[in-house]
Amino acid sequence: MLGLASISLVLVASVVIGVWGVRAARSTPDFLVASRRIVPGWNAMAIAGEYVSAASVLGLAGLLVKNGVGAMWYGVGFTAGYVLVAALVAGPMRRSGAYTVPDFAEYRLGSRRIRRMCGLVVLVIMLLYLIPQFKAAGVVLELVSGVPYWVGVVGAGLVVSSTIAVGGMRSATYVQAFHYLLKLAFIAVPALFLIFLAGPERREQAFAPTGLDPDWARPLLDLDGAGQPVLSTVSILIATTLGAMGLPHVVMRFHTVAGARAARRVAVGVIVLLGVFYLFPVVYGLLGRVVAPNPSETDVVTVLVPGEIAPGMVGAVLTALVAAGAFAAFLSTSSGLLLALAGGLSHDLFGGSLSRLRAGVAAGTGLAVALALPAAEVDINVLVGWAFAVAASTFCPLLTLGIWWRGLTAGGATAGLLVGVGTSTGAAMVTVLTDLEPGAVSVLLAQPAIWTVPLAFATMILASRPAAIPEWADESVLRLHLPGRLSRSGELLSPEQLR
Amino acid sequence: MNQRVRITSPQTRLALRRRSDAMRRVDRAGRPPMSSTAIDMEAAERALKRQRRLALRTGLLLAALLAVLLVAAGLSSGRWGWAVLFLAPYPLLLALAAAHVRRAERIEADS
Repeated sequence: MLGLASISLVLVASVVIGVWGVRAARSTPDFLVASRRIVPGWNAMAIAGEYVSAASVLGLAGLLVKNGVGAMWYGVGFTAGYVLVAALVAGPMRRSGAYTVPDFAEYRLGSRRIRRMCGLVVLVIMLLYLIPQFKAAGVVLELVSGVPYWVGVVGAGLVVSSTIAVGGMRSATYVQAFHYLLKLAFIAVPALFLIFLAGPERREQAFAPTGLDPDWARPLLDLDGAGQPVLSTVSILIATTLGAMGLPHVVMRFHTVAGARAARRVAVGVIVLLGVFYLFPVVYGLLGRVVAPNPSETDVVTVLVPGEIAPGMVGAVLTALVAAGAFAAFLSTSSGLLLALAGGLSHDLFGGSLSRLRAGVAAGTGLAVALALPAAEVDINVLVGWAFAVAASTFCPLLTLGIWWRGLTAGGATAGLLVGVGTSTGAAMVTVLTDLEPGAVSVLLAQPAIWTVPLAFATMILASRPAAIPEWADESVLRLHLPGRLSRSGELLSPEQLR
Repeated sequence: MNQRVRITSPQTRLALRRRSDAMRRVDRAGRPPMSSTAIDMEAAERALKRQRRLALRTGLLLAALLAVLLVAAGLSSGRWGWAVLFLAPYPLLLALAAAHVRRAERIEADS
């Protein structure tokens, strides 16, 4: 009951902050990127808040208990991606003036067809990412209140879509920043208490264990015991690192700061915030192995640990805090994703207006809820891993080549996107629909990034015919790398851009 | 018939115009919306090349860093296996990104 109360409190606080920012939701650009008035520190926190999803709060600890210490690679990859965001995309994307990845593709390649294609890819990535978020909401609500899984999922859908529909992204930025702090506090503080409460014996068992299963203790990821730990670790690392760069809802956030320089710095700030956060799921995972070694649902280990360690009132309070943190993770990620998805639906596919954008949010929620219902059995991190693999195989090559190589043409990009989205989603579908013998082949299908990313890059490069490069390609690439003062025009430049 | 008219200050009008510029789509010839002011193409070319070299360097360093971590993880096991991935990665990733941003800003200041 306490758990449900704390979740409701999180919800109320989010709505209040959301409504406080409602004034901004007046035109499409306002709704989407909050008119570029967001301060960098808030923005970094908002990105981290949106990014630290259920996969990090729940999935990571669950996978650690189930599969071993190697699950920590997810956190490493999720963070390493921001090194590439800072180095490759943040500054130039901001200078392009595009709001979304499809906007950028149209700017750089001069084709409306490619914009629509990118819009479709956005939908695929966002849906794959949304499903595990709703699954997380469902299992957490089921655990703390006893309602059936489907009630939790549907209820979460209603809550998220109505919050966004009244607020938009300006409010979302503050809501997201608030959620980062909330998640950190609700996950970190109980973690410290639990380390203390566990007592010396359980502490030793958790943090300096002896007599472990060597496969579990080796810090490599060997999913489903396929016997290919190096291969699957590398593939997951490629997916998470390169996928972070191609996540449409993250890229979008860089347009809410004043200039390219600020955008880059925001990416560095995100690394700090993520590095701090990812220490704590590990604590829950290691403690969970000792106190809750065989949970019926691995994705709720984080929420189970407090009750197992501290019985009575203290445990109930800590459980309530952690459950609220997990729900905040769900709420922030899913509202960011839904906004990007709605942006994709209305702005990129149908040429948007505000009412269509709101309809897009409702449609996206409905779809994600419907798909989350049968996904109850799939691990959160596996689903999130696929979203990252698709992003890494599509938008990562598109943005990298588009920003740094003038030779990329609309034809090449189209071919590469088709190959990337086809192979990565195809491999995931084969994994879901068939029952393969665990081995190298099953790893390459379940974690396809190691071959789909190079394939997508190669296709984009080889299919870009030099003859098809338009005369303005030079200029459109060069403008992405010019400091503001070299391209002064009639418009007013902010001090940040002038520097 | 009453029609609602939106009254805006000059600043708001300017902001709205700038926004609609950014929203402008590709024209019929396929040329994307770009500011009409000329740019110094040679300076821009030099800036692009230097930034690209830097970006490549950071990318390779990141790959090397992750490879070293992977080897370290593969070699360690038993009691302290988890500590490798707990302590090492995040400060190193931060240092790499911060160094990149510092250099990128220096290139921008030069060009």
